[in-house]
Amino acid sequence: MADILRGRARSRQGLFVGWIRALTPANSWPALAGLLVFAAMLALQQLIEPGTQRLLTSVFLFVALAQAWNIIGGYTGYASFGQVAFFGLGAYTVAVLMNNYHVSFWAALPLAVLVGVVFAVAIGLPLLRLRGHYFAIATLGAAEGAREVINNLTSVTGGGGGITIPTFGSDAPTPYFGKPGFYLAFLVLAAVSVVVAAVLARSRFGYAMVAVHEDEDAAGAVGINTTVVKVVAFGVSAAIVACAGAFYAFQQIEFYPTDVFDASFTVLMVIMVMIGGSGSVVGPLAGAVGLQLLSQFLRVNLGNFNQLIFGAIIVLVVVFFPQGVVTYLRDAWRTRHFSILDNVRRYRL
Amino acid sequence: MIAPSEVPSVPVLEVRHLAKRFGGLWALRDVSFSVSEGEILGVIGPNGAGKSTLVNLITGHARPTTGQVLIGGQDVTGQRPWVIAHDRVARTFQIVKPFRGLTVRENVAIGAMHGNERDRSVRDSLATADELLDLVGIAKHANAAPMQLSVADARRLELAKALATRPRLLLIDEVMAGLRHHEIESAVELIHRLRDAGITVVAVEHVMKAIVSVSDRILVLHHGSILTLGSPREVLSDPRVIEAYLGHRYVKRRSE
Ligand SMILES: Nc1ncnc2c1ncn2[C@@H]1O[C@H](COP(=O)(O)OP(=O)(O)OP(=O)(O)O)[C@@H](O)[C@H]1O
Ligand SMILES: [Mg+2]
Repeated sequence: MADILRGRARSRQGLFVGWIRALTPANSWPALAGLLVFAAMLALQQLIEPGTQRLLTSVFLFVALAQAWNIIGGYTGYASFGQVAFFGLGAYTVAVLMNNYHVSFWAALPLAVLVGVVFAVAIGLPLLRLRGHYFAIATLGAAEGAREVINNLTSVTGGGGGITIPTFGSDAPTPYFGKPGFYLAFLVLAAVSVVVAAVLARSRFGYAMVAVHEDEDAAGAVGINTTVVKVVAFGVSAAIVACAGAFYAFQQIEFYPTDVFDASFTVLMVIMVMIGGSGSVVGPLAGAVGLQLLSQFLRVNLGNFNQLIFGAIIVLVVVFFPQGVVTYLRDAWRTRHFSILDNVRRYRL
Repeated sequence: MIAPSEVPSVPVLEVRHLAKRFGGLWALRDVSFSVSEGEILGVIGPNGAGKSTLVNLITGHARPTTGQVLIGGQDVTGQRPWVIAHDRVARTFQIVKPFRGLTVRENVAIGAMHGNERDRSVRDSLATADELLDLVGIAKHANAAPMQLSVADARRLELAKALATRPRLLLIDEVMAGLRHHEIESAVELIHRLRDAGITVVAVEHVMKAIVSVSDRILVLHHGSILTLGSPREVLSDPRVIEAYLGHRYVKRRSE
């Protein structure tokens, strides 16, 4: 008894043993499932036409963005409405380096991620002291500010006239990947973001994020440095988003500040996480895949009314599954209680 | 029990001229005392006396207006809560603060992951949590959601969360309020066991009987100031305490 109170050093190989144990069959089925899906997506590329490839490429992009938003907005509980700033900064870092300085894409990519992380830390240190709506509005403002800076640095970024990445001929520092190349690039990006989120969620840091989300005073009392947890979570999220922005820029070749700083990217990240269910890895994944496929389906089949129907479906899902569809299904399965009406009552009283 | 004359050179906790103002209200003023290793200090006082404010100032959950807090002789005034926690000071909250989205076991494991002498893996932390849940007597609720616990069990969870950080000094803010008789007895027994394991305890309590039986010394706060500080017997027989804090009802009850 006294032993447990005084604390005892557990064996040094504890970490390693724990890691091996974590790979036992009971824990490894999500990893196996993920690997299977990844392999299936790789194989699928050979079977589908370019239009479908383009659609799936955008699905992969949003899987990465939703996972990134979930790290800061879901697990840590800080709903950022400025994530597109990291997307735009990633895109412009790559474009400026490739266009103005003839840096190769692969050399520009880590710098794009770095710029995103540095900006996240710079705005995170002051803004992550704010909570709730104040944080949301402040991050929204920071993203608008970032866009305006890019817009006005005409000599470097081309300003509102846009920027073009040299991708063809002897001028191109890196040859254009082509449609199949971007399918693979965004698939890998999505896979990496899912793995990062899954590993974080099961780590001590993951528990710290949840604790910060629940109650910062209580988190501090058990030794969690809440400032570090919030800034690191924001930084990891920004790194993924900036990386996505960099690939997106190379894919677009030519774009304007209004394209890559478009606030609807942020809005979609938020909606996808909310619809799927925040604070889990599967929720944002399902939200991103589901919404992106649905949006495309409606666009093809409903013509002019597709946006209206899309919005209506989102509203209905939010009304009936306020906690997110995946979270609802998980809880319903655990409690064997599937009534949707009861679900609405539980969350809307 | 350690009498004041045998006090080791450096007290675990020392508070010097501590004061806290909220707007126009002095929640605490000029409070000085020290707690030596292995001691159990009871803190009592009527509602709004400043007991929770005192705990908050010590653990960094509020900043003192003036005065100092020393842990093991080190000035930690104004440090953030996690710095204090890593100085091996743990606390419970009067209004319990469980991490609602996690299981009872995970709630406790977080302290073992991020406190002192922390476990190297999530798995080890969960094992530590199970042992502590057993110690405070809620092992059977390990997989429950904290919101499903009774008032008494939620307080025990609060205690287990704090213990998981391996403290040398534990500040408990009213873990016995609202408990039934036998629950109070087991809480008192637990506090004695903590002390036997080498943990110094500062216990804020409303339950008079419990605090008297558990404490080596008792500090009485009133309107933010120290009314008196002494052995349970001295404090109970102090007419100012009887008058100001306990009131006539207690006097009557004692004579019954
Ligand atoms: N954050 C705050 N802002 C303003 N006033 C506060 C704050 N916290 C406490 N107070 C005031 O300070 C005084 C002391 O409060 P405190 O909570 O320390 O008392 P307490 O002795 O713990 O009381 P109780 O027995 O009810 O728990 C009270 O008058 C309270 O209203
Ligand atoms: Mg109090």
